[in-house]
Amino acid sequence: MRTEIDGKTDQAIDSKKPLISIKNVSLSYGNFQALTDVSVDFYQGELVGLVGDNGAGKTTLIRIISGIIPPTYGEVYFDGERITKFHPKKAIDLGLECIQQTIGICDNLSVGRNYFLGREPIKRIFGLPFLDKKKIRETSAKVVHDFGLRDTVDVDDEIALLSGGEKQTFKIARAVTFRNRVIIMDEPTNHLSVRERAHVNELAVQLKRQGLLVIYITHDIFQIHRIADRIVILENGRKVTDVPRDAMNLENLEEIIRDGGRAPAKGVKSA
Amino acid sequence: MRKLLRRTDIGIIIGCIFIFALFSLWNPQQWFDWGTISNIGQYTAILGLLAIGQTFVILIREIDLSVGSVYGIVGITFAGLENSNISVLLSFILAMLLALLIGLLNAALVIRGKLSSMIVTLGGLFFYRGLVFVTTHGGVTGVPQSARENWLAQLFGGHWLRIENGFLLLLLLGFLCAVTLYETRFGNHLLALGGDPASAESQGVPVNRVRTLAFCLCSVFAGLSAIVTLTNQPETSVSLGTGMELESIAAVVVGGTLLTGGRGTILGTILGAFFFTAVRAQMIALGAPPSWYISFVGIALLIVVTINTLLSKRLRSA
Repeated sequence: MRTEIDGKTDQAIDSKKPLISIKNVSLSYGNFQALTDVSVDFYQGELVGLVGDNGAGKTTLIRIISGIIPPTYGEVYFDGERITKFHPKKAIDLGLECIQQTIGICDNLSVGRNYFLGREPIKRIFGLPFLDKKKIRETSAKVVHDFGLRDTVDVDDEIALLSGGEKQTFKIARAVTFRNRVIIMDEPTNHLSVRERAHVNELAVQLKRQGLLVIYITHDIFQIHRIADRIVILENGRKVTDVPRDAMNLENLEEIIRDGGRAPAKGVKSA
Repeated sequence: MRKLLRRTDIGIIIGCIFIFALFSLWNPQQWFDWGTISNIGQYTAILGLLAIGQTFVILIREIDLSVGSVYGIVGITFAGLENSNISVLLSFILAMLLALLIGLLNAALVIRGKLSSMIVTLGGLFFYRGLVFVTTHGGVTGVPQSARENWLAQLFGGHWLRIENGFLLLLLLGFLCAVTLYETRFGNHLLALGGDPASAESQGVPVNRVRTLAFCLCSVFAGLSAIVTLTNQPETSVSLGTGMELESIAAVVVGGTLLTGGRGTILGTILGAFFFTAVRAQMIALGAPPSWYISFVGIALLIVVTINTLLSKRLRSA
């Protein structure tokens, strides 16, 4: 594994204080109650699996955390401070990046331009701001190399030439190297080959080891059971389970999801 | 070589070389006559300026159908102010402010009103044209001779070494726009927005600011084009600019900019404007009825776009 995150050393993990704290959050779209009284804490340096069926409220919760929509009720704290304004740019500025399957890169732009999209480096010529193309090329080439993309990838080529797994790796690389503190991965391994999937999961574990908070959303309980530290299960907009991975085995997990959280399996302490 | 062939404007580059060679062999006296050259230069400038503005809007997956009427209303406002003894500089500033205001209005309706730009600007097309008719009662006079001799008017409508200043302005602004599009943060944001709006927004691109700027640039370029027209020619009419919106879109599309957004060049747009203008001039010179030109625009559009699509399919799959 050649992955290295430049300048980022293992940070002391403060396991006492949550980095993101969701308190009694509810959200309704008109008459539809998408989230009901959900409270959950996320800590630095952990990989949390957020699991649940379709319509369980996973995406809604993530949309609140990434500032896309404000909750109807409840509070959200980031690093101890209460968030009052919900805006995607604010979340980006706080160091939170959401990696989604379908969005995040523009196929018509080069690899380098995608890497710096929204944070383009500038050099001044006669006082006027121009793109620093040299920096774009060199920095993105180094990152692409460090994260194990093909050596034949030219950062001046359109990113459309990359495979699905490479694009996913690229998004993770970008999220990490911009010194983010929270990486949210929304179904990051859908449509990926077995090898690409392993690579992405390996990266997720690496990020957590670097001291980042990784929130990993998936349907695939087998995958998440293998890599997560803690598993949070949502069902019909409510949190039904929040336990360390070791407290349950795969069968428990499967049972909870199948039964919609109504009857927690034996031996599992539901939070 | 592959990089060259991958350009979206490769079709129009070849097209321009082809017609240049064709007319040089077919009708050299007419083609290399200074009168023809300066005519083609002037009209390329007028259509080219409109089309450059349109390029910004098309690059972000929108369209501006109001440019012909904006061109008309800004030009007639400018001429009207000139005729009421207001200084050229002030008239120019007021006319350009009007253009800017229209751009802001278009952007506001599209962004805040969440309306399709096609509907908003179609409304603009009718509204501004109607406004011209109502306010002028159908009769307008051009910019008077005395005003056209003013330094500012000369800057837009005069000539330098027998080259029309409008054409030089087109080259200068074209160059600046190309640099803006490919070498600045705004340009990168504009291309990203055209390529994938959701992704651009997720990376913190200020999408609404970029959209607003694109619509404003489009209207301001339409206004500039009107000034270039009226400072150069003595006469005008209330129908000034009718149909120019479609011609400008045709020039942009023939120039290789995709209506799906995110890909295109300023050079292609300028060549597209030159292509239509040169062919029109030659058709007239060769004695073809001028109305044939309209049919020709349609055919040329289909041919060039087909070639572009075939080329890009072959090259992208390779």
